Amino acid sequence: MYKYILQSAGNINWMALFALLSFFAVFMISVIAIFGKRKSFIDRMASLPLEDSYVPHPENEETNEK
Amino acid sequence: MSKLEKFYYDNVIVKNFAYATAFWGVIGMTVGLLAALQLVYPIFNLGLAETSYGRIRPLHTNAVIFAFVGNGIFMGVYHSMQRLLKTRLYSDALSKFHFWGWQSIIVAAAITLPLGYTSSHEYAELEWPIDIAIAVVWIAFGVNMFGTILKRRENHLYVAIWFYIATWVTVTVLHVFNNLVIPVHLMKSIPVFAGVQDALVQWWYGHNAVAFFLTTPYLGLMYYYLPKAANRPVYSYRLSIIHFWALIFIYIWAGPHHLLYTSLPDWAQSLGVAFSVMLIAPSWGGMLNGLLTLRGAWDRVRTDPILKFMVVAITAYGMATFEGPMMSIKSVNAISHYTDWTVGHVHVGTLGWNGMLTFSVLYWLLPRIFNTKLYSVKLANTHFWIATLGTLFYVVPLYVAGWTQSLMWKEFTRDGFLQYRNFLETVTQIIPMYGVRALGGAIYLGGVFLMCYNLIKTVKSGNLIENEMAEAPARAVYVPHKGEHWHRWIERRPVLLLMSATIVVLIGGLVEIFPMILIDENVPKIASVKPYTPLELEGRDLYIREGCVGCHSQMIRPFRSETERYGDYSKSGEFIYDRPFLWGSKRTGPDLHRQGGKNPDSWHYYHMIDPQSISTGSIMPPYPWLARNDLDTTYTAAKIKVLQSLGTPYPKNYEKVLYQDLRKQAMEIAKGLEKENIKQENLDKKEIIAIIAYLQRLGTDATPKPQAITPSE
Ligand code: HEC
Repeated sequence: MYKYILQSAGNINWMALFALLSFFAVFMISVIAIFGKRKSFIDRMASLPLEDSYVPHPENEETNEK
Repeated sequence: MSKLEKFYYDNVIVKNFAYATAFWGVIGMTVGLLAALQLVYPIFNLGLAETSYGRIRPLHTNAVIFAFVGNGIFMGVYHSMQRLLKTRLYSDALSKFHFWGWQSIIVAAAITLPLGYTSSHEYAELEWPIDIAIAVVWIAFGVNMFGTILKRRENHLYVAIWFYIATWVTVTVLHVFNNLVIPVHLMKSIPVFAGVQDALVQWWYGHNAVAFFLTTPYLGLMYYYLPKAANRPVYSYRLSIIHFWALIFIYIWAGPHHLLYTSLPDWAQSLGVAFSVMLIAPSWGGMLNGLLTLRGAWDRVRTDPILKFMVVAITAYGMATFEGPMMSIKSVNAISHYTDWTVGHVHVGTLGWNGMLTFSVLYWLLPRIFNTKLYSVKLANTHFWIATLGTLFYVVPLYVAGWTQSLMWKEFTRDGFLQYRNFLETVTQIIPMYGVRALGGAIYLGGVFLMCYNLIKTVKSGNLIENEMAEAPARAVYVPHKGEHWHRWIERRPVLLLMSATIVVLIGGLVEIFPMILIDENVPKIASVKPYTPLELEGRDLYIREGCVGCHSQMIRPFRSETERYGDYSKSGEFIYDRPFLWGSKRTGPDLHRQGGKNPDSWHYYHMIDPQSISTGSIMPPYPWLARNDLDTTYTAAKIKVLQSLGTPYPKNYEKVLYQDLRKQAMEIAKGLEKENIKQENLDKKEIIAIIAYLQRLGTDATPKPQAITPSE
């Protein structure tokens, strides 16, 4: 069925398969990676543009320094 | 926790790029308006070679893409990067070099393009010495950017910076690949790839110039300036990261959608279609992320012109990225390709997305670095309405023109003949639309003048804070510890991010481009296809110089409506000696691939000098200088040598006899013209003879004429 759909789009060959699989890999990795992060970190990243000068974020500091 | 360090942001470089953005915006759009007027009233070609449409169009596209948007990118990147990374730029000297280098390149382009020096690769028209200068300045920009990233005080790289990095990497790769040429002399070069391969590389470049020059850096700007202007964080930072990876991965594959139904092999076309359709997802993810950032702030959008500009910009991005994938579907493309629909589509992106986002950033940024307030919010609001109106008046008529003309091209009578056999009928039909389009462009440009006035007043009312003080702690020395997520590890290491982004974009490039370049079977040979004669070759270079490719395609698609009108459809094997390929992307005039033998030489002679005298109502520019100028054959031998080195089978030691061949063919054409009562002194030495030779050769190899002249052995 899928093969039929792909075929109707032209020649299905290793290139098309490789392209789709590698896309799937990149996509999944980025999804897993970004959802594996803590909310505090995401919030801090999202607020970065709003700070022209330094604004302390005590809850995040510990990951940067040991 | 470490002590706060004091440092200063460089606002001078930001100001310089901001001024350059506005200045080149005015210039680039004015040139665009001139080109638009030329399509309504050919008199606007001004009777000069330097200002004729074929040379003005690339000047316009280069000016708005690389001068207006280019300077806009550098303005935004240098301003936002310092603040996101909490550091001054890496090197003031590099910043200065970057600025003046880029402006000199623009000036060089503004001089050489009207003079007819062009590679004829769309959006990569500049000749090789300028290409090298671009590479040098681009690398200086890269060093400055990565230097800044390395000396940052903020550990983490905000998503905008990711977009900047991907932009830099990809543009570098694209620029190098699409400009692989062998110089003939200082201002002329011959591309390494020929025909279909050249076409594939060019549109891989061309499409990704849109993707990685007009889109990714501007998405970076969106992710920085939208939260700034709205004073709230982006709707979903997570979504922005997925947006980033998906977008850069998919974009790089989409190039072949510019070559559907051409002689490009099917598999490459199908890949292009599939990835183009997939592009909707990340693009719309990005658009929604932008618009949702404003949730709860819509009351402010109503009063703040900056936010209004941003909303329309992001909406235009959404529309263009929906429309683009649609136009990549083969059945839609069969209608849209070669028409003004494409031009309309592009301008939704450029006028809407790039233009309006640039205006909003200028309005937001200049008052801040000049420590003042915007001179007039009211004028900015007026500008917003003018810009929106101008965009509508620009794009709507072009959609109508594109659809109308496409339908006319394809219409058959009940007896099975083309309803509009004369191509010109389909042109004169849409000239009123071209008129409205020019009006739309003028309105939009009027808005830009208004903005300039407003910004000049603003700047005069303030004082530039050349070095703006800020504070941040030094970046903690990073000690890896167990259990840390690997992705954050990547993010702390910009070099790794750079490499991952490079790999992701190269996957598409390598898999799609290399087989095409390396595998010969992809281009089936046709035995009767022979190299151009020296005279035809020179004629072809005149065709390139005059930018005929800006109005004429040389690629007949396998539709009955096209084979009926133009002759047999084009095969990839017919282009193996075409360096560069000249398939074109727009048919303002008819396709010329099978022009050879269609009209007598004398017809071409009169038509080139004054098209309107032969084809009443034609909007083709007159080319009287072709009959005045002597053909320059100084470099013919050098060109043939380069072609030989690339594998074009001219006979050995051909340079010894090629001038005789050239003279002989020229004399024959001139004699023929004289018989038709065309009397002109030294006619056989004129450029027009070469261009006639070329036009008469076009497409005849696949159906050879008995008396075709071939190089003597
Ligand atoms: C502004 C767009 C434009 C440019 C630039 C342009 N043309 Fe044309 N051309 C047209 C239009 C429109 C027609 C159809 C009307 C006519 O015959 O003039 C045409 C027709 C032609 C024809 C006749 C085709 C046929 O089969 O009837 C030839 C040949 C031609 N052009 C050659 C050239 C060459 C060579 C150049 C560059 C030196 C050039 N054109 C530049 C728009 C353009």
